[in-house]
Amino acid sequence: MIVLPIIDTGTMISSILVIVIAYLLVRVLTFVLVLISERSGQYRITVKMVIPLLKFSIYGIAAYYILANILKWESSQFILFGGLLGAAIGFGLKDLFADVIGGIVITLEKTFQVGDKIKMGDYYGEVIDIGLRATKLVTPDDNLVSAPNYLIFTQAVASANAGAPEMMVVIDLFIDPASDAVLAMKILKESVMTSKYVYISKKRPFTVLLKDYPFYRRLRAKSYVNDLRYEFEFESEVTRRAWKEFSRNGIEAPNVNILEAGVINQAK
Amino acid sequence: MENGKKEPTVQIIGFREEIANIQTAIADFESGHNNLNVAIISEPYAGRTALMNEIEKMNPQKVTKYSFSSIVKNKDEIILSEHSKRIVLIDDCQFLYMRKIGGFDVLKEFLNLISNPAILFITTWNLYSWKYLDEVSKIGKFFPVQINLPKFTTSQLKESILSGYEKEEIKFVEDVEFEKEKIINLMKYPISIKPWNKAINLPYFKINYNILKLRLLKKEERVAIEDMIFEKIHHVSNGNPGVAKIVWQRSLEYPIIKPSKIKDESFNIELDYDESFVLNIILSTKSIKNDDLSQIVGLDFQVEKIIFQLSKLGLIKAEDGSCIIRPEALKSVVEFLKKSRLVW
Repeated sequence: MIVLPIIDTGTMISSILVIVIAYLLVRVLTFVLVLISERSGQYRITVKMVIPLLKFSIYGIAAYYILANILKWESSQFILFGGLLGAAIGFGLKDLFADVIGGIVITLEKTFQVGDKIKMGDYYGEVIDIGLRATKLVTPDDNLVSAPNYLIFTQAVASANAGAPEMMVVIDLFIDPASDAVLAMKILKESVMTSKYVYISKKRPFTVLLKDYPFYRRLRAKSYVNDLRYEFEFESEVTRRAWKEFSRNGIEAPNVNILEAGVINQAK
Repeated sequence: MENGKKEPTVQIIGFREEIANIQTAIADFESGHNNLNVAIISEPYAGRTALMNEIEKMNPQKVTKYSFSSIVKNKDEIILSEHSKRIVLIDDCQFLYMRKIGGFDVLKEFLNLISNPAILFITTWNLYSWKYLDEVSKIGKFFPVQINLPKFTTSQLKESILSGYEKEEIKFVEDVEFEKEKIINLMKYPISIKPWNKAINLPYFKINYNILKLRLLKKEERVAIEDMIFEKIHHVSNGNPGVAKIVWQRSLEYPIIKPSKIKDESFNIELDYDESFVLNIILSTKSIKNDDLSQIVGLDFQVEKIIFQLSKLGLIKAEDGSCIIRPEALKSVVEFLKKSRLVW
C-alpha cells in the first residue's frame, strides 16, 4: 500500500519558496538576456534562443527539487503521481499537457525562436516569448496573441526568417501598362538598394521582377530587411520613394479599366 | 619648437607587398600582357592617398593622377583629359555615387570608361562604400586586382611615426599615472525601468585587456617603455596609421611622450535609426558636404539636427558646411554600425 506523505506547513512553504525563486530567477535571467540580445546586433536572435531553454530547465529543476528533496518522494510515490497525472490528463488536462510538450518540442527542435516572425494558425507576428503553455506573438497591429504550443502538432508554422535577424520582404507595385516599365524597374531597384533598411549580401541578393496582367503590370521587388522588426517600415519606405520617383517620371498607376467598363455598360 | 605641434612627415611604410602588386599590374600592362584595373580599398585614414602618391612618385612620366574631393554629380566631370597618360590614378572613387534613386548614373558612366582596354586604371575606394557597391552593383568585376590595405602592426606604426623625427629626439617617459590605471574597472550600465519610469545603474566589471597585456609584458621585462607606448597606440588606433598619427599628436608633449597621456576614447554610442543611417553615409565617404548629405537622405531627415547631434557626441566634426568622421571615433562608429547592420 502506498502511503502519501503528510505535507506540513514547513514543506508547503519550502515548496512555494522554490517556485518563487525559480520564477524570479527566470524573470531576472530573461531580463538580462533580453538586454544583452538588444546590444548584440546580428546575434540578437541567437542570444534570445537561450531564453526558452533556460526557462524549461529552471522550472524542470525546481519541480524535481520539490518532489525529490522537499517532499522526498520514493519511487512508488512517483508511480502513484504518474497514475494521477495520467488520470488528470485523461480528465481534462490533456490540452495543458500537450502545450507543455509542444513547448519542449519547440525549444529543442527550434521550430522557431524568440525574435522570429512566424505565422502560426491564423496569426502572424514576432515571437516575444515561448512559455510553458503558450507562445506569445506581437502582431503588426500590436496585438499580443497567445497561441497554444500544441498548435505545432496540428498546424504548419511558417517562420519568415528562421533564426536570422534579416528577412525577405516582397514589395508589389502596380503600374499602368502604357508606362515605361523598364524605367519603373530601374527606379524600384534603386529604391530598394538605397533604402536605409535594406540588407544585401551574396546570400541575400535582391531582385526586381515584372509581370503583365490584362489591365496593369506588376513590379515585384524581393529583398531583405536588415532587422525583421523594420519589415513594414522598409516596405513603406521603398513604396513611398518609388512612387515619388514614378510620378516625377510620368509612370502612372493603372487606370481602373474594369470600373470604367462597368460604368460604360451601365450607361448603355 | 612649439609644444607637440611638430608633425611627422608621411612615410610609406608597411605597404611593400601592396606596392609590389601594383607595380606588377603596371608592368603587365606596359608589356601588353594584361590590363587589370586595380582597386585599392581601405577604411578612412588608412593611408590610401599616401599610397597613391607613392605610386605616382614611383612612376613619373607614366601616370596621370586625378582625385575627387566631393560627390561627382555630372558625368562630364569624369571625362579624361586629352593629355592623360595610359596609366590613370584616381583617388577617392567613393565620390562617384550617391545612395539615392538616380545616384548611380555617374558610377555607371565611370565603369564604362574604365572598361577601355587601352588605359590602366588604378583607383582608391573607401572600404565601406566599396562593400556597399560590390553588393549592389558588383563593381568588383571591373577590378580584377583588388588590394585591401592591411592594418599596421605595432612595429610598422612605430617606424612610420618615428620616421618624422631625429634619432632620440622623442623622450619616452614612464609615469606614475599609467601604473595607477586599473586592470579591472567597475562600470555602470544605465537601465531604464519603464513601469516605474526610473533609471538604475547596473554595475559590471570591465577588464582593460590593453593594460593587462602591457603589465604582463612589463613583468616579463620583454619590452621597453617605447614599445609599450606604441603597443598602446596600436590598440587605441586599431592599427590604422592615420588614426595612430592623430593619437600620437594628441598625446605628445614635445619632446616627451608618456603612456598615461595616450587615452583610449571609447564612445558609448546610442543613436536612433535616422542618425545611424546618416552616420553610415558619412563613414562611407569619410567627409561629405552637408548639401550632398541632404540630397542623399532626402527631406524626411532633419539633417542639420542630426549633424549637430553627431558632432555633440564627438563622432563627426562639422565645419565649413561639411562633415568629417573623427579619427578617434572611427573604431567605435564602425563597431556600432556593424551591430546596427548598416555596415555589412
